[in-house]
Amino acid sequence: MAKAPERSIQELYRDDPERADAAAFGRRGALTGAALAAMGGALGAAIPFAGSMPAGTLPALLARPAAAQGAPQRLDLPGKAPLILQGDRPLNAETPEHLLDDAVTPADKFFVRNNGLVPEAVGDPRAWRLRIDGEVQAPLDLALGELESRFPLVTRQLQMECGGNGRSHFQPQARGNPWGNGAIGNAEWTGVRLRDVLAAAGPKPAASHTGHFGADPHLSGATDRAAISRGMRLAKAMDEDTLIALRMNGAAIPLLHGAPVRLLVPGWPGSLSQKWLTRITLLDRPHNGQGMGGTSYRMPVRPIVPGSENNGRDFADMESMPVRAILSSHAHGTRLPAGTRSLDLRGAAWAGDLTVQAVHASVDFGASWAAMQVAAPANRHAWQRWQGRVALPADGYYEVWYRATDSEGRMQPHQAANWNPQGYGANPISRVALLIGA
Amino acid sequence: MMLRLAAALWLALLAPAGAQPGDAQRQAAAARALEQRAEEEAVLAEGEGRSETFGYCTACHNTALIRRSGFSRPQWDGLMDWMAERHGMNPLEGEFRQIIVDYLARHYGPRAPRRGGNPFLD
Repeated sequence: MAKAPERSIQELYRDDPERADAAAFGRRGALTGAALAAMGGALGAAIPFAGSMPAGTLPALLARPAAAQGAPQRLDLPGKAPLILQGDRPLNAETPEHLLDDAVTPADKFFVRNNGLVPEAVGDPRAWRLRIDGEVQAPLDLALGELESRFPLVTRQLQMECGGNGRSHFQPQARGNPWGNGAIGNAEWTGVRLRDVLAAAGPKPAASHTGHFGADPHLSGATDRAAISRGMRLAKAMDEDTLIALRMNGAAIPLLHGAPVRLLVPGWPGSLSQKWLTRITLLDRPHNGQGMGGTSYRMPVRPIVPGSENNGRDFADMESMPVRAILSSHAHGTRLPAGTRSLDLRGAAWAGDLTVQAVHASVDFGASWAAMQVAAPANRHAWQRWQGRVALPADGYYEVWYRATDSEGRMQPHQAANWNPQGYGANPISRVALLIGA
Repeated sequence: MMLRLAAALWLALLAPAGAQPGDAQRQAAAARALEQRAEEEAVLAEGEGRSETFGYCTACHNTALIRRSGFSRPQWDGLMDWMAERHGMNPLEGEFRQIIVDYLARHYGPRAPRRGGNPFLD
């Protein structure tokens, strides 16, 4: 190692973080006194809870998902906040966790997920038609006005999350947008219940699954191919919270979010919540549209070797999403004044079709956890806000770890579990770095 | 009469406070501008096969999908089949496929987890 470890570590971290890790922690990742001192020097601060830092895992604690690091490209689009731009074509953007501080997510802060191209805006939304067909007694072909006049309107806060939310936590890297935890929104949606519309069409006894279709063109421009067309078990379609949504937060749905009408299938992968909805068909078997089968929105039943090839034949469709918490009160990298001795934390947590029974936070690398107060959801399938205070014994470098537990007692794991080629279901404990003083 | 009532209700629903008639058109135009934003080949790592890769891949998607990826050669190779089977890409065969997959594997291979995302050093 270098003769002047503090200086060299600092330089190394700027120039070559990989080598800096190796230099600071040695080949076996053992945390030594000298390495620890070097790390403190590199941070420019003491690490008050260094004693409980897990040896060998410290380097990773400094890391964040790539999308949340440095100065990512930002979305610049009318009606949208400067979200993290994941890609132009297809257009995808993630909401940084600290922008998810509203109980009800405003449209401008709602994440953007597209599989295809954004369709043109329609001139007259009333002319938009929605078809219900397939295994039904009486197919329907409804103008949007009819939809609203024939069926009761309901308004619900519903959490809706990309199936790949958290993907960047997987190692090796999985295919798809490297989301942090910000492909989630909890808007207030107004619409009609899908089950009321299906009841009017009269499902035949054989009907067991749905298939959804939208107006967004395939990325290649091919007209004989859907950008995305997924489906679900009929039981989820008949859930009281599965809506054909017409309004978002009391206003017309913005174009980017599926105007004038979309599905809203809370708690299940967001790809089921078809935007620019044109047709729902009932089937006597699982749908075979774009994004069904193989490794798409499917997870191993028998865990596979991370990074291995697999055609997904034995995988199962992803349904209810796993438990996850976000921290919205403090952005990663926040500096606070010297002498700050407590933090008022707040955020949100959700668990697919389940609820969240607890959120805990730790500022000592998981050696001790403090229970946060978790509010009841505004309604079933709404996310839950949480808040609480943690004490800081001294100035220096801290990480806030935050972890939710679902109503069946399952916690967020320490590492992303059940690796799969397209990277679904990564919900490890999240961490945010803070610096007090300095 | 019923129809007129429904139409009136519908109009009321579609004209909430805050929603301006031109919003959707503006979002559409901005989305289109992003989707069609021209990229330079040089945005990809320099090396043999870059032109072929840039030309073939950006027919459908921008290079963010490539640049953010770090896959092994078998994974890249498998992706070529996946795009052909699932997304209607013209199947890539023979030497052309080899050039592109070699390029991707060489320049966009597996990476260790990105570290050093330390907000207090950068």
